[in-house]
Amino acid sequence: MADVGLNKSKVATDEKKSPRIGVFVCHCGTNIAGVINPAEVAEYAKTLPNVVVAADNRFMCSDPGQELIKEKIREHNLDRIIVAACSPRLHEPTFRNVIKDMGLNEFYFEQANIREHNTWCHIREPEKALQVAKDLVRAAVGRASLLEAIGYREIPVTQKALVVGGGIAGIFAALDIADMGFKVYLVERTPSIGGHMAQLDKTFPTLDCSMCILTPKMVEVARNPNIEILAYSEVEEVHGYVGNFTVTIRRKARYVDAEKCNGCGKCAEICPVYVPNEYNEQLDARRAIYLPLAQAVPNTYTIDKTKCIECHLCERICELKAIDFSQKDELIDIEVGAIVLATGYDQMRVNEPEYGLEQYKFGIYPNVLAGLQMERIISPTGPTQGEIIRPSDGKHPKRVAFIQCVGSRDFRPGKHNYCSRVCCMYAIKLARLIKDHHPDTEITIFYMDIRAFGKGYEEFYQRAQELGIKFIRGRIAEILEDPETHNLILRSEDTFLDRVMELEFDLVVLSVGLTPREDVEEVQKLFNISRSPDGFFLEAHPKLRPVETNTDGVFLCGCCQGPKDIPDSVAQACGAAAKVGDLISQNKLIFPLVVPQINYDLCRGCAECVDICPYGALSINERSGKVQVEEALCKGCGACCGECPVGAIELRHYKDSYIYRQLEYLLKGVPERQLEAWKKGEWEPFIVFFVCNWCTYGAADLAGTSRIQYPPTVRLIRLPCTGKMDITYILHAFELGADGVIVSGCLPDQCHYVSGNFKSVRRVKMAQEILKSIGFEAERLDDQHFISAAMADEFVRVVNKFTEKIKKLGPSPIYCPREKSLEVK
Amino acid sequence: MVLDKEKVVRVRDTKFLDDVIEIGEKIFPEIDKVRTCIQCGTCVGGCPSGRRTAWRIKTLFQKAMIGLKEEVLDTDDLWCCTTCYTCQERCPRGISTTDTVRVIRNVAFREGYAKKNHLFVCSLLFKFGHAVPINEPVKELRKKLGLSELPPTVHSYPEGLKEVNAICEKTGFKEIWEKQWKKAQEAQK
Repeated sequence: MADVGLNKSKVATDEKKSPRIGVFVCHCGTNIAGVINPAEVAEYAKTLPNVVVAADNRFMCSDPGQELIKEKIREHNLDRIIVAACSPRLHEPTFRNVIKDMGLNEFYFEQANIREHNTWCHIREPEKALQVAKDLVRAAVGRASLLEAIGYREIPVTQKALVVGGGIAGIFAALDIADMGFKVYLVERTPSIGGHMAQLDKTFPTLDCSMCILTPKMVEVARNPNIEILAYSEVEEVHGYVGNFTVTIRRKARYVDAEKCNGCGKCAEICPVYVPNEYNEQLDARRAIYLPLAQAVPNTYTIDKTKCIECHLCERICELKAIDFSQKDELIDIEVGAIVLATGYDQMRVNEPEYGLEQYKFGIYPNVLAGLQMERIISPTGPTQGEIIRPSDGKHPKRVAFIQCVGSRDFRPGKHNYCSRVCCMYAIKLARLIKDHHPDTEITIFYMDIRAFGKGYEEFYQRAQELGIKFIRGRIAEILEDPETHNLILRSEDTFLDRVMELEFDLVVLSVGLTPREDVEEVQKLFNISRSPDGFFLEAHPKLRPVETNTDGVFLCGCCQGPKDIPDSVAQACGAAAKVGDLISQNKLIFPLVVPQINYDLCRGCAECVDICPYGALSINERSGKVQVEEALCKGCGACCGECPVGAIELRHYKDSYIYRQLEYLLKGVPERQLEAWKKGEWEPFIVFFVCNWCTYGAADLAGTSRIQYPPTVRLIRLPCTGKMDITYILHAFELGADGVIVSGCLPDQCHYVSGNFKSVRRVKMAQEILKSIGFEAERLDDQHFISAAMADEFVRVVNKFTEKIKKLGPSPIYCPREKSLEVK
Repeated sequence: MVLDKEKVVRVRDTKFLDDVIEIGEKIFPEIDKVRTCIQCGTCVGGCPSGRRTAWRIKTLFQKAMIGLKEEVLDTDDLWCCTTCYTCQERCPRGISTTDTVRVIRNVAFREGYAKKNHLFVCSLLFKFGHAVPINEPVKELRKKLGLSELPPTVHSYPEGLKEVNAICEKTGFKEIWEKQWKKAQEAQK
């Protein structure tokens, strides 16, 4: 094993000695100390085996707190450190660095989460919370006493990046990375880069012309020697890991030779096939051979093969012989070290039944338009060359209404709950543009709340009011049409006056919101990242890691992460580019060697583990006939360990022995305590909850952060993935006197290790069978749950429901034997 | 201008909405969503009753939220909702608007704010097992449609009337009614 930075002989002698553990309990201001007395927890810790010293401090993460740990390490020659504080997802790196500074291996650290999993969610039960804290610290001591030192591995980095999506976010990310001197591939699905911004006329709040500020950037991308634009292409497959991705890209056939085409457009003039124009939001038609917009980059025509009738007229007229019907889709593989997703958004298709907005008759009444359609009508490059006319009769509308929050902020089941953030401002912008063109137009904006939160936005809103644009607070209930004039009658209420209104307008613009791309689910799976409940891609931390994802090396920017305006998209793109530069400017990456260890005396070469490994990191050595590990491919999920029938594979830092010891310590004295409580009639279930590090542990953290209260009946045991779940853990927990066991991992298709959660589903079922066969109540082991990091409510629901269930079953027969009468029943 | 002292809100029953929700939750588990009302007016804008009467459902919710108990319960408007459920279908907060109104009506009845006509309708229920008993035109219509003259309710099974009354008594409905009915009749005298 290539443990870098590890003095093996020293470690070997050190680990033979009995460990010297230091326990540090954090007050976290009043977050912990407001519910329980940390000093009492520290006093208790002192009574536990191998604990040499225990102390408490107001903020363990602060400088004085860190100093305290260092001081105690020096004073007492400590070699295992436990901090009982917040979630390890927050401060594990902080404390690991502290002990590293003191010359200890950072894997000698263990954190007990007594804030998110305890004091924050048991605020009203301080006594029980104290008990939970003691239990968690005891379990941590058990685990810490076995912890072994782990070194690092080094992996090389491909110093190139891939940006997916050529909208304003993708353009900026690509430019910034290229300017740092790295090669960038910019993949764009449509024939030209530019994205939604290319469809806009002006931009709020300064009203500069969208194309005037965008096209120079598009040209810059084309001219930058470090950027390779792969337009009309899609990502097909992604393999590898941070620093070393191999991405397969489908270069769709344009049937036009990009080298020869000079964009003269004669082909489009002669093409007899008319197709609804996406660029103009279907308001006019383009040809089957087309350039999506006049300023397209690359300036190459494309044949829409789904619409082409193959008359070959274009081929005949093209003087440069650029038309090539023999072209085929091409698959190319590129190697990159980092990936930026900037896949953007779709405008909500509010005419579809899923939105439940039939009363707005979008797509039925000709004079009801969506925001982007109005944008195209106002734009000089649009279907009307900037002439503001309405579709039914081509006349200037004199009375225009905007309806806000169409499709957004809707809490009916299955609808979009979020605020789309841009609609208030774009409606005000469009209103002002109409006023600019025709000052006599009467404009009314119907709104629920005006959200003018950005720099210069409130002033922009106020200016609109000064220009005579009317704002009525009330969401439109329904739209009726006068069948003769095609004028529209809006039914609403002025909520300030409590007056029901039926006002007539010539044109109605729906301020339609933003939704994730139609194929967001496929893209999510392709890059193995998560999504938040709103459907957009999930950042690694909502505040502190806004451009990273849970998959190392994959970054986000722009609207694929959530609705945002142009300034925010650009800012996030620059942030993502900086992160990419930070990553790929390194020659090599250092990773802790949390990989499987094989016990060759036990391994029989059955290859069960080889089959189950989602990364192909295991194989059978032909000479020895035993399994071997390819460390660079291993991601440390531990699925192989759970699968091994003889226990020959152990995942470092999560060895079976650690988990057994953790369970033994966790349940030490619990059966006695529980029996006592049962006799007194104060019994409450004691449930061991095995969770995956990525999702359910995060859900429990979120439940704490959100201060959702639930009964103090569960104790969490963190596993890297539920794929690591071993049947023996469950059986051991029951054997030691747990009243119930729950296992929960990521959502079915969102496992961070592909399918670890399904592996444990099978093992949980097997464990249930085993329990049944020995006559133990199998209901005490709940069916596997799937709870994502965002589903705090679901986590609490599961805890509540299972607690109720165990309450009905009563205490475990292990420590509370059934009386004869009960058995008969 | 003289300020009308009655118009200044000084006293409010902050528990009122909690009470309404506690009562309503047993039948409509999602009724607590009424707390999330943002007064957008979608409900009133499409309200068929609101176009003809002073009934403003969202205003009622706001008053209930603030705790203007008297104003919520002691008003004719409360009874102007036709329970067509249009607003409940459209409410962007997914509030069970109409269900909430039904619960508030229930509370109003319990607290003695029933209107005289309602009390009369209740008396019909005790007498016939129907709030609106069958009449000759309906009988004719049923025959025309090829249905039996009487529906398969208490009308067809008069012995069921006893059970209807038993339910009304057991639930305490009749008792609440009796008190108000007597009061109303005395007032008439």
